[in-house]
Amino acid sequence: MTTARRPRYLRPPGRTLDAQLHLLDRQVLDVDGVPVTTVDDIEISAPPPDTRIPAGTPAPTLTALLTGPVLGTRIFGGRPPSSRLIRIPWRDVADVGVVIRLGVRGEPLDADWVERWIRDKIIARIPGGRHDPR
Amino acid sequence: MKRLLGVALGVLTAIGGFVDIGDLVTNSVVGSRFGLSLVWVVVVGVVGICVFANMSGRVAAASGRATFEVIRERLGPRAGLANLAASFLINLMTVTAEIGGIALALQLASSVQYLLWVPLAVVAVWLVIWRVRFSIMENVTGLLGLTLIVFAVALFLLKPDWSSLGAQVLAPSVPEQETAASYWYYAVALFGAAMTPYEVFFFSSGAVEEGWTIKDLIQSRINVLVGFPLGGLLSVSIAACATVVLLPAGIAVTSLSQVILPVAEAAGKVGLAFVLIGIVAATFGAALETTLSSGYTLAQFFGWSWGKFRRPAQAARFHLSMIICLLSGAAVLATGVDPVLVTEYSVVFSAIALPLTYLPILIVANDPQYMGEHVNGRPVNVVAMIYLVIILAASLAAIPLMIVTGAGS
Repeated sequence: MTTARRPRYLRPPGRTLDAQLHLLDRQVLDVDGVPVTTVDDIEISAPPPDTRIPAGTPAPTLTALLTGPVLGTRIFGGRPPSSRLIRIPWRDVADVGVVIRLGVRGEPLDADWVERWIRDKIIARIPGGRHDPR
Repeated sequence: MKRLLGVALGVLTAIGGFVDIGDLVTNSVVGSRFGLSLVWVVVVGVVGICVFANMSGRVAAASGRATFEVIRERLGPRAGLANLAASFLINLMTVTAEIGGIALALQLASSVQYLLWVPLAVVAVWLVIWRVRFSIMENVTGLLGLTLIVFAVALFLLKPDWSSLGAQVLAPSVPEQETAASYWYYAVALFGAAMTPYEVFFFSSGAVEEGWTIKDLIQSRINVLVGFPLGGLLSVSIAACATVVLLPAGIAVTSLSQVILPVAEAAGKVGLAFVLIGIVAATFGAALETTLSSGYTLAQFFGWSWGKFRRPAQAARFHLSMIICLLSGAAVLATGVDPVLVTEYSVVFSAIALPLTYLPILIVANDPQYMGEHVNGRPVNVVAMIYLVIILAASLAAIPLMIVTGAGS
């Protein structure tokens, strides 16, 4: 509501996204419409905590959607080390609507490794695992 | 013509698909103990499932989002996970009950101990989920389940005193030998049997599976609004058969053989053959639906690729989770626990968990961001709000009633 009354130059360009409302817990589909994951958390380019932020530092930006075990820490608290995060880079996101669409195929993404592993080690080995039901 | 055929098929499938082991057992128990004095609950439950299924089907068609994706988005991860845990466990209990139902019906048909049928039933359910196309699966089990109409036929063959049955329906009262608490306990159970949450997961996910659009909604609405009430009529005839044969004889139903006793008495061997086919088909169909529902809820919460329209290899986690669910159901049955008892508990727990799925769907059905112009109209919302109160009341009353009555005994 307040954005409408602000002077034009202070209004953020483009569409305003609310992380809680539009990103977190949304389904992510790849470029072919295949579900990849749900957005379990997001990563922003914030400076490390407890450091002084000099004036003129650019505002933090959204760098990646996170998935995997980070859901556990989001629910129960704590923070996994940065090296353990499974990221979908924000530049791969093509559209944010009722679902989040990626501009790339989901198959090669890190976020899909469990699916790939279960497919290759278990499901594809059961007879008929690659049978097209239609 | 083809359209008409589609409607007829949909309606018949909805009738046959309405009854599952929960409806069979609960209606029979209630009929044998309370007569027809609880028929009003079936009516309330059927109208409720029509409202609920209609709403979740519309959400799925308008937004392309199935129930559990919506639940997580609306409730956030913490409440969503708690909801998933509750819904999933109760659903798993229902899977177990349905598989037990298949095995018990096959035992009645073959005199081979039901525990020996359990592995066979599990493999058969898995094979259908693995291989058979969604629409074929739906239609075959639904149509075969229609043989349960033999309960209605049996009721006529029994030549009951219609006026006394009618009086029980229209002026319900607690029978002398029963307490008010157990009357209300079974009211909750019957409500839970008619409105099991898995039907809604299945209905909304099925809408996505079959790629419904707003245009298909009219057909789905006819299926629901005609099929479910007729299915409810089938439930009532099960209770009525028990009322006529078992109540005067003082037999309180505790096993599946007692459920089919009235049919055997009225229609003999032919009736028995029909009812056994019907029970196997109905429980088999429900076992498919509940197993798929457990895969749907998990996959939708975690955002996995899901759906029977994909090759199993393209929905690997979805298929693996269903295999694990079937195996756990079989493991529970292998302990020798009575499947009828599992069923009786599963319908009550279904009633307890109902608000968890009902409320998020009601909220999203009113959200223009998802629904566009297809948000709930005012009349739908009035009915939906009344049901919210009923569902909450049933859910809150269930556990105290369970404790007071010793689970209805």
